[in-house]
Amino acid sequence: MRIVAIIGLAGALSGLLAAAEPVKLPYVYTKWKQFTVADGLPNDHIFAVKADGPRVWIGTEDGLAMLDKRTGKIKSWGEKDGLPWKVITAIDVDKKTGDVWLGLFGGGLSRFSGGRFDHWHQLNSGLVNDVVYGVAVQDEYIWAATTAGASRFNTVTGEWAIFTEKNSPMEEIWNYSVAVGNGKVYLGVWGSGMLEYDLATGRWKDYLDPDGEMEIDLYRDDGIVHVIVTGASPANDVVWISTYFGACRYDGRHWRGYYNQDSGLASDFINNVKGRSADEAWFATDKGASAVTDFKTNTWVTYTRDTKGKGGQAVVMRDRDVLETVGMPVGIPHNFVINYDIDGNDVWVATAKGLGWGIGEGYYPGLKERPKTVAKTMPKGDVR
Amino acid sequence: MRLQVCVLGIILSFGAGMAGAQSSTASAKATAGDAEAMPPELKALIDPDTAEVLRRINGLSPYETPDLRLRQDTVYANTPVDYEPFGAIKPYKEFFLKQIEYTGPGRAIPEPGPDLKSVKIGLIGPIMSTVSVATGGKSHEEVLGIKMLEGAKLAIEEWNARGGYFRHHIPFEMDTRNDNGLWGASGNEIINMAYKNEDWAILGTIDGANSHIAIRVALKAEIVMMNTGDTDPTFIETNIPWVMRCIGDDRQMGYLLMDYVLRKMKYSRIGIIRASNRYGRFGVREVNDAARRMQHPVIIEMAYRLGSADFSLQLERMKEANLDAVIHWGDAAEGALVLNQMRKMGMNQPFFASDRSVSPEFVKTAGANAEGVICGYPWNPDHKDPKLDQFRAAFRKRFNAEPDTYAAHAYDGMNMLIWAIQVAGLNRAKIRDVLAYRTKPWPGVTHDIPFGASLDDLGEVFLAKFENGAWHYHSREDMNIPHGYIPARDRVNRATGEIDPMNPPPQK
Repeated sequence: MRIVAIIGLAGALSGLLAAAEPVKLPYVYTKWKQFTVADGLPNDHIFAVKADGPRVWIGTEDGLAMLDKRTGKIKSWGEKDGLPWKVITAIDVDKKTGDVWLGLFGGGLSRFSGGRFDHWHQLNSGLVNDVVYGVAVQDEYIWAATTAGASRFNTVTGEWAIFTEKNSPMEEIWNYSVAVGNGKVYLGVWGSGMLEYDLATGRWKDYLDPDGEMEIDLYRDDGIVHVIVTGASPANDVVWISTYFGACRYDGRHWRGYYNQDSGLASDFINNVKGRSADEAWFATDKGASAVTDFKTNTWVTYTRDTKGKGGQAVVMRDRDVLETVGMPVGIPHNFVINYDIDGNDVWVATAKGLGWGIGEGYYPGLKERPKTVAKTMPKGDVR
Repeated sequence: MRLQVCVLGIILSFGAGMAGAQSSTASAKATAGDAEAMPPELKALIDPDTAEVLRRINGLSPYETPDLRLRQDTVYANTPVDYEPFGAIKPYKEFFLKQIEYTGPGRAIPEPGPDLKSVKIGLIGPIMSTVSVATGGKSHEEVLGIKMLEGAKLAIEEWNARGGYFRHHIPFEMDTRNDNGLWGASGNEIINMAYKNEDWAILGTIDGANSHIAIRVALKAEIVMMNTGDTDPTFIETNIPWVMRCIGDDRQMGYLLMDYVLRKMKYSRIGIIRASNRYGRFGVREVNDAARRMQHPVIIEMAYRLGSADFSLQLERMKEANLDAVIHWGDAAEGALVLNQMRKMGMNQPFFASDRSVSPEFVKTAGANAEGVICGYPWNPDHKDPKLDQFRAAFRKRFNAEPDTYAAHAYDGMNMLIWAIQVAGLNRAKIRDVLAYRTKPWPGVTHDIPFGASLDDLGEVFLAKFENGAWHYHSREDMNIPHGYIPARDRVNRATGEIDPMNPPPQK
C-alpha cells in the first residue's frame, strides 16, 4: 500500500516537472523583404541566388541582377549588355578573384569579370553541353553540371575535363547540381543519384537508391531516397540531398530520409537544397520553403505565402506535430521555391515569383528556450 | 475491359467544397466573360467537365493554385500483386499514385497581344540522319521519327483547315527540330522552342535518352511535353507535372507479354537478346523483373551493338542455355536478323519481341521466319472505329503511304495538344491543366486514352502475332491470357498521410 502511494506520488511529481519544462524552439524568420520586377529585377522567375558580401547576385529567366544590400538598389544585365544568354540557372563567385560564374540554361557558361562577360559553350570549349544546371568554384577549377555530363575548367591552364559514363560511375549523364565541400565535389544527377568526387584521391563514388526501384522507397534511412537527385549540399561533415521524391541527409555512415508524411517538409517535390550546418538545411519545395532547423529532434520550420497580400506564415513542426504557427506581415515571395543562399544570419530565397530576403536578427542555431508564439495565422484574404 | 481498367485505376473528381474555393468569384467572372466572347466552334470543344476546369483555373492570381482534386491511382500502372517489387514487404513510400500539381505562378501570365501571327507547337524527334553518341552512334530512328512528324503534321493541317486557332483566327504552325545531334541536342532544342521560338507546347520524342534530357528542360521552362513514341517506362516516372504520354509503355506491354509467356504458355527458361542502348536496356526491365518475381528468372540476357549483323556470339551462348523462349528488345532490322540467325542455327524456340518489330521491314527481312512471332503492341490497329478509318484515308491522301503506330499516336498527341490550346487559350500552365485534369479518356484514333496519376496512358495494350502473312492483334481476352491479381486498395491514404503546409493541423 505504501509502495503504491510512493509510486503514485513520484508519477505525479514527474508529471508536474514535465509540464513545467520550458519549450525549446527553433529560430523563426519573421522579417522578410520581397523583391520583384517592381523593385528593378529584370524578371520575377528566379532560378539562382548567390550572396557575395554586400552584393547579392540574382539569376533570372530574363537576365542577371545584382542587389546592393546597403542601398537596396538593383542593377541588371541582359543580352544587350553582353550577357551571352538571358536564362541564368546557376551562380557561384570565386572568392579569390571576385569573378562571378554563371550557368546559362541553354547558353553554356559565362564569367562576369570587370564588367565583361566571357563565354564558353559546347562549340568553343570543353563544356559538354550548353544546358547548364549547376556551377561551382573549387580553387582554380570551375565545375559545371550540364544535361549531358559534368565539365571542369582549369582557369589557370585553360584545360577542360569532361565526366560522363565513360570515366565516372554516372549511370545516366543528366547532371542537375554541383557543390563543393568537405574536400569533395558533389554532383546531383537525374537518374544516377549523388556522385562524390574526392579531391584528394581523384576517385568517384556513387550513391544510388538501394532498392533500385523508381516507384517505391522500400525502407526508410537505407540510403538515398531516390535516384532523381536535384541538389546535394555539403555542410560541416554531412551532405544534404534533395530529390523530386523527398529529401535525405548523409553523414558518411548513416542516412536519414525525409518525406512530407514524416517531417515538416512542405512537399516531396524539391527543386534544390542548401545546407547551413550538420543540423540545419533549407529545402526548396513547390509548396513552400522548408528548413530542418534541428536535425536531432527533427524540428522543422516551413514558410509559406498567403494567397492574398504579401503576408505569410511559418509553421514549426517536430516530427508530425505542429508546435507553433507564426503569422507575419510579409512572407516569402511565392511558395514555388527554386533556390537558396545562406548569408550569415540571413537567408535568400529564390522563387518562381520574386526574391525573398529573410533577415535573421537574433538568429540562433538549433533550439532555444523561448516562449511559444500564440498561433496568429493571418486570416485568409487579409490584404496587408 | 478498357473502361474497367480506367475506372479501377483512376479516381478523379472536382474538389467542390474543398478549402481552396478562394477565387470562385473572380473565376466565375472571367469565365462568364470568356464564354460570351467565344466563337461557336470553340464552345463546341468544351464539355461540361472541361468548362468546370476552366472556371477553376481562370482568374487565379500568381499565388493561387486551382481548387481541383488530383488524380489518384489505387495501384501504380495496374501492376499485378505478383509483379510488384519486393511484393512481400509494404514499402515505406510509394510514388506515382497521386498526381503531381503545378503550383507555380504561370496561370496568371496574360495571353499575348493581337500581333501574334501563328500559334507555334514544337515537334522534336529523330527526323534527320546524324551520328550521335547519345543514341549509340549512327542514328537509326528516322524511319519512326518521320512517321511521327507526318502524323502530327496531318493533325495541324486539319485544324488549320477548320480555321486554325479559333480565338484569333490564326494558323497553327509546327516548329520542327531534330533531337539526335550532338550530345544533349534535345535539351538545346527545347530551350530554342520554349524561349526563342515561343512555342506553346511540344510533342516528342522517341529515343529514351533524348526524351529524358528534353523533359528536364521542359520542367524548368514550364512547357507541356506530350510524348507519343517513347515507350521507356521511366520517362513518366520523373514526377514532372508538365510531361504526358499518349502511348502504352514497355511496362504495360512487358506485363502482357510476360503474362502470355509465363502464365499462359508456362515457359520457364527464358532468354533475352537486346540492343545495347537505352531502349533495349530499359525495355526489358519489366520482363526481367516479372520473370524473377514469378520464380523463373531470365536464364541469359545478351546485348548487341546497334547496327550489328552477326549475332553468333550472343546466340551461341543462348543456344547452350536450352531456352523455352527468346525475347528480343530492339529495332526491327536487328530483330529480323537475330530471328533468321536463330533459325539457321537450329534454334526453334518461340520468338517474342518488342513493338518495334511490328513493321514491314521486319517481315521483309525475316521472310517465312516471321510466322508465329509475337510482339507487344500499344494499340489494336484492326479495331473498328470511323475515326481511325477517316485518319487512315486522310493520311494516305496526304502522304501516299500507310500510317504506322508512330504516325497514329502523333496524330492523337497533336490533336490533344491543339484541343488543349484551343480551350485553354495561350497560357502554358492552363494548356497543361486542361489535359492534366481531363476527366474522360481522350477519344483517339489509336484508342481511348485514359491518363493515370502520372499522366501516362493506362489504356489497354495488345499482342501482335504474325499469322498467315499478316500481323493480327489480340487482346488479353482474345487470347485468354490470365492476369495477376490487382488489389483495389487505397494506397495513397494507407501511409501516414500528408500535411498541407498552408493549412496545418492545430498546434499542440
